[in-house]
Amino acid sequence: MSITKNISLIIAGAIMFSCTDQEKFKNIGIHENTRWEFAPNMYHSKAYEPLTQITDENQGVFISSDDDGVGEYYNSNPHNPHQMNMRVPAEGTIKRTKNGFMPYHIPKDSLSYAAKVLVNPLENSPKNLADGELLYAKFCAHCHGAEGKGDGPVNKPFKGVANLAEGQLKTISMGHVFHVISNGKGRMLSHASQLDQEERWKVALYVKNKLQVSQ
Amino acid sequence: MFLKRLKILSASLVIFLISFELNFEVSAQDTTKNTNGAVAADQAIIDQGATLFKQNCVTCHAIHDVVVGPALKDVHKRRQLPWIISFVKNSTKVIASGDQYAVDLYNKYNKTQMTSFPNLSDAEITSIVEYIKVEGSKAPVTAQAVDGAKDASSTDKSNASNPYGDLTIILLVVILVLVLVILIVFSSVLRKYLKDKEANLEEADKVLVNQKIDFVAFFKSKGFITVVSIVFVAWGARACWNTMFYVGVEQGYQPVQPIPFSHKLHAGEYKIDCNYCHTGVTKGKQANIPSLNICMNCHSQIKKGPKYGEAAIAKVVKAYETNTPVKWVRIHNLPDLSYFNHAQHVKVGGLECTNCHGQIDTMEVVHQHAPLTMGWCINCHRETKVNGKDNDYYAKLLESHNQVSKKDLKVADIGGLECSKCHY
Repeated sequence: MSITKNISLIIAGAIMFSCTDQEKFKNIGIHENTRWEFAPNMYHSKAYEPLTQITDENQGVFISSDDDGVGEYYNSNPHNPHQMNMRVPAEGTIKRTKNGFMPYHIPKDSLSYAAKVLVNPLENSPKNLADGELLYAKFCAHCHGAEGKGDGPVNKPFKGVANLAEGQLKTISMGHVFHVISNGKGRMLSHASQLDQEERWKVALYVKNKLQVSQ
Repeated sequence: MFLKRLKILSASLVIFLISFELNFEVSAQDTTKNTNGAVAADQAIIDQGATLFKQNCVTCHAIHDVVVGPALKDVHKRRQLPWIISFVKNSTKVIASGDQYAVDLYNKYNKTQMTSFPNLSDAEITSIVEYIKVEGSKAPVTAQAVDGAKDASSTDKSNASNPYGDLTIILLVVILVLVLVILIVFSSVLRKYLKDKEANLEEADKVLVNQKIDFVAFFKSKGFITVVSIVFVAWGARACWNTMFYVGVEQGYQPVQPIPFSHKLHAGEYKIDCNYCHTGVTKGKQANIPSLNICMNCHSQIKKGPKYGEAAIAKVVKAYETNTPVKWVRIHNLPDLSYFNHAQHVKVGGLECTNCHGQIDTMEVVHQHAPLTMGWCINCHRETKVNGKDNDYYAKLLESHNQVSKKDLKVADIGGLECSKCHY
């Protein structure tokens, strides 16, 4: 009898602990709807979450533990446009930056003025150039090409991207590059929301002092 | 006398032949000039034109398509060369001079003035026109044809999946069945042989030969019931245990998004860096969902996609124009009880996006790649070295660690397993 017991315990153990590894979650497979969760009231933020918005007040009512009259999952700011949790900063707000950059106000149509008067505040250091190179690869290369020849992969559907490495654009100033990134030119739109001023200057530094020089 | 005449005759014949031949050659040259002469400019000039065109013109012009400015095919038929040269050199001057054609062009293309190219010489502009002549006579290469070819090649690849996995299993089953059959045949033959000689056998062997399996007694036996019930309970317990592990894990979550945005196309084919759209990834806690102005950087121009056509992009443009945010469905939801910071992992740790998000650039529709469980986080913190590259913050720590230890400094060693790092 003890033999059968031992055997069955071995089998039971083998069943219990077979194939328990990290990969097991792959069995869940692709699913379109969310699954179950433990302790939902610890999972869903009561504070406004920047990238979560649940506008339905009844979601999570069954688990609600406080008396604010809305469900546990409700997470929206009713005072904001579209009940969004994020808001654009108040008009006139100035972002504090390490290097004390003030907002850039030269309007889009004053390109030739900007190209003349703007001076790059950053020094031409290897660190700044390397940063600029990385930023160029991330924010410019898919259109303007890795070597600036206007042959990035996006050029195919976009049909026409400026060639930075050759031709007329070799003569432009660093301020010109900065102004065009900030405000756009022709079909290129402003990239000011993606690159702050310091980053724009780094890109300008890289384009003028490395990209155009090495060609 | 006769000989002399013969000499003259032969000489004149030779002259005649030579002159005839020369004539023929000249006329042959003439005909080639007549057929190709109008187009066949020097190849070097065309090449020069091609280079200049790619350097200066492609920003706004294509040969067959209207981009910012008009399609340049057959421009030499529309305008005379001197006009083209003066327009390229200083378009403002030509328009200001009241030239009707130039003013019409200016009005037709949204009053966008063409950039002036005073640095280009007459010869260079002529070479560009020659290049446009040659390119214009070729049929336009459509993007769709290229895409079609690509699709065909990719389906070929996917069809050629590895069939050996199934084959091994089938082969194994066949062999096992064969072994079973052989064993049964073998034992029945043996039993038959022993039965023939039953008289000579001992009592114990007789029982063995005439053995009949009593299934009812076997199923009712205590041992059998114990084994079966324990196996059953263990299996049930295991199922419950595992199901509990699966709770709260959303690996493979792939919701339907309001706009069928393809990461495969944008990040994969067009090689747009993740950071271009997810601007917060090196700066803050969230990687950020791009605002619509970032979409419009390209989609102010590109209005038709290869897969969903114009409808999907029209939704983006409409949302931008009406200032309505797109309600993307969030895929990666870390529970509120734990804190995660993108900048710390991407900027300081130097991790690639694919470490946690998988091969996004091959996903037509994005799903959650990693389990995002605590075990998964902890495991990585145990295995990952502290990244001291280009970061003086850890320099002294790494230096003193390397003096006393031969092992690498792991994230776990500098508090990567502290509860309060993520839970507070």
